[in-house]
Amino acid sequence: MSVDYLLHENPVGYAVFKVVLQADTIGNRLKEVQMAAQDLDKFGKMVDLVGLAPFEGTSHALQEINDVSEGILSDFLRATLETNLPKAGKKKTITLGLSEKNLAGSIKAVFPNLSCETSETSEVVADLLRGLRQHAQKLIKKLQPGDIDRSVLGLGHAYSRAKVKFSVQKNDNHII
Amino acid sequence: MERQLTVHRKVIIEPHRHAGVFVARGKEDLLVTKNLTPGESVYGEKRISVPNPNAATNGDAPATSTEYRVWNPFRSKLAAGILGGIDDIYMRPGSKVLYLGAASGTSVSHVADIVGPEGTVFAVEFSHRSGRDLINMATHRTNVIPIVEDARHPLKYRMLVGMVDCIFADVAQPDQARIVGLNAHLFLKVGGGVLVSIKANCIDSTAAPEAVFAMEVNKLREQRIKPKEQLTLEPFERDHAMVCGIYQRAG
Repeated sequence: MSVDYLLHENPVGYAVFKVVLQADTIGNRLKEVQMAAQDLDKFGKMVDLVGLAPFEGTSHALQEINDVSEGILSDFLRATLETNLPKAGKKKTITLGLSEKNLAGSIKAVFPNLSCETSETSEVVADLLRGLRQHAQKLIKKLQPGDIDRSVLGLGHAYSRAKVKFSVQKNDNHII
Repeated sequence: MERQLTVHRKVIIEPHRHAGVFVARGKEDLLVTKNLTPGESVYGEKRISVPNPNAATNGDAPATSTEYRVWNPFRSKLAAGILGGIDDIYMRPGSKVLYLGAASGTSVSHVADIVGPEGTVFAVEFSHRSGRDLINMATHRTNVIPIVEDARHPLKYRMLVGMVDCIFADVAQPDQARIVGLNAHLFLKVGGGVLVSIKANCIDSTAAPEAVFAMEVNKLREQRIKPKEQLTLEPFERDHAMVCGIYQRAG
């Protein structure tokens, strides 16, 4: 089963990549194949950026990460997929590679003609997504160096703070 | 929390074999890291300020001194491992480190000192109670990304973590090897280092510690982590071992 498109979630926004070249399942664990994914020059030829949908601000990013981590398809992500993926007809199906199965389920419910592969079902997808994680900063030309690092810092704090704030286990609210 | 800042003229700071770690040689030898936030202790640890050698010639100038924080091997498994003579810690200035089981962030603060402003520490802790302390510590250290989430479900924080050079794990869970593997498959570079602190009691309290360690090493092998080294954390911790390995995806 080959994969046509990849969804990459990063703290700046959602990015959809088209897969130009991919390893086959049998050869995926070969040393040469693994080394190619490390190399930006070689990996850059394997994928092609279709579109980037940046988040509008920190609160929007927080909302999206909360949805993504729970496997919910947000309206924003649905719109992103609608604009960046070609319409799948009855004959031609399109396969989207993404990281998590719950999100894959939510996407399938909305896009019936789209088939999904996750990192768990396909090692090829897992390796492509690893490559994106490593090289996304360079592959998305619109980003300045350090953009992702800065937004990760803000988003990490916001996400963790929200977790702690709405904690059910209020075991540290001691009355002095 | 605030301790007195001790200015030692007699203390000599020497770089440790591991880049980013230092040894303070004075009355007794101490393991130290260069304080990323001079003037602040994280958990009440002692700080040592050493005047810079070039500044010493033109009189006393406190602004031109470097501050170090003492790293207690009884409180940090990584420090215990370094004093135990670990061969490679896989983290150096500029590294990106995924730290599983960050707790309140006391050891994390020293790792943040090691990797320095160019590096990043992604600190994962599940407990909300320690998570609060972790977040507070991270507000002063911008190279620490606090992540209050379960390390068993790395996909939940996949948006926050980039590719890392090293995974350090101190989660004290029976399925620790699996947790490390899950995170490595997602976030660890090929050839990246894995450091796992294993508490024999937490895995299996009935078996002999040596048997537990051997079993855990085999589990790591199944997760495509090639074991390189195993050392005991005695005399700082009882029945603990540190296992180091290299992540390999090919083959």
